Amino acid sequence: MANHSSSASHSRFMQHHFVDADQQFDAAKMGMWIFLVTEILFFGGLFAAYIVYRLWYPELFTLASEELNTLWGAVNTVVLIGSSLTVAMAIKSAQLNQKKNIAINLGITLALAAVFMVIKYFEWTHKFHLGIFPGKFYAFEGIDHPKANVFFSLYYLMTGLHGIHVVIGIGLMVWLLWRSMKGHFNSEYYTPVEITGLYWHLVDIIWIFLFPLFYLID
Amino acid sequence: MSGHHISTDKTLLGVAGALFILTILTVGVHYIHIPEPWSIIVAMGIAIFKATLVAAFFMNLYWDERFNTMLFIASIAFFGLLVGLTLLDTLFRPEVMPAF
Repeated sequence: MANHSSSASHSRFMQHHFVDADQQFDAAKMGMWIFLVTEILFFGGLFAAYIVYRLWYPELFTLASEELNTLWGAVNTVVLIGSSLTVAMAIKSAQLNQKKNIAINLGITLALAAVFMVIKYFEWTHKFHLGIFPGKFYAFEGIDHPKANVFFSLYYLMTGLHGIHVVIGIGLMVWLLWRSMKGHFNSEYYTPVEITGLYWHLVDIIWIFLFPLFYLID
Repeated sequence: MSGHHISTDKTLLGVAGALFILTILTVGVHYIHIPEPWSIIVAMGIAIFKATLVAAFFMNLYWDERFNTMLFIASIAFFGLLVGLTLLDTLFRPEVMPAF
């Protein structure tokens, strides 16, 4: 028989193959960190491509970035930072057993993530309207550079992959909100909130780099 | 347990406030047009500082098991290897590949 003498938790989400709830929590968190490492390297390939093309065509990056709206990029940065704050608040609410505040903070996070995607939608559709498409579909005459499509291919790939992560995050937040309203989370058990929070903060960190690299080039 | 640090509102709001101010700062520095290569160094410096704040205090690495910090730093080191070895190739070619 495994030793279940620990009095740490009697949560119904405690799994039998762990010694206690703390071990289960730490294992889940380490697993999430290992996943985040693969995410960093996944995005890393695209960041490497960005670095190579920027060193090859520095004048292109300066020219093409003028088509991106710095204000909306900055607004989206603030929106994502705000959502990271509310995720951290949701975790703190769970730790303090403030069950209603978990749902409130997750709800605000969800709303901010939706605002981010709406702004992204308007940015992309505006570019499509001008004929700025990735790769060979590029049809915009306004940038005097033969490789202008390279910049926008990277832009669509990197902000697109980031956007997919935001959409997945929205799905996870809906799931957490539903579970929090069923009363699943408390100070003894809040692992899904914690590890989804880690994922969401990494999405924030990636945007923290995408914003200056694409929007803030002189 | 190390994994259950409870952040105070003061810490969380302080970190978020610092991130907001740094965002305003990085946009402000963009508009004063400092010359290359300093513009990219300042912008990346601010971004790295912001990312460190998020990782340390929102992702709780400051209070967490050191092993998780090690995983995070390892991923950055491998990213550095990827970029470094790629640049050793592409920066020292006699001519850039004509198709690209």
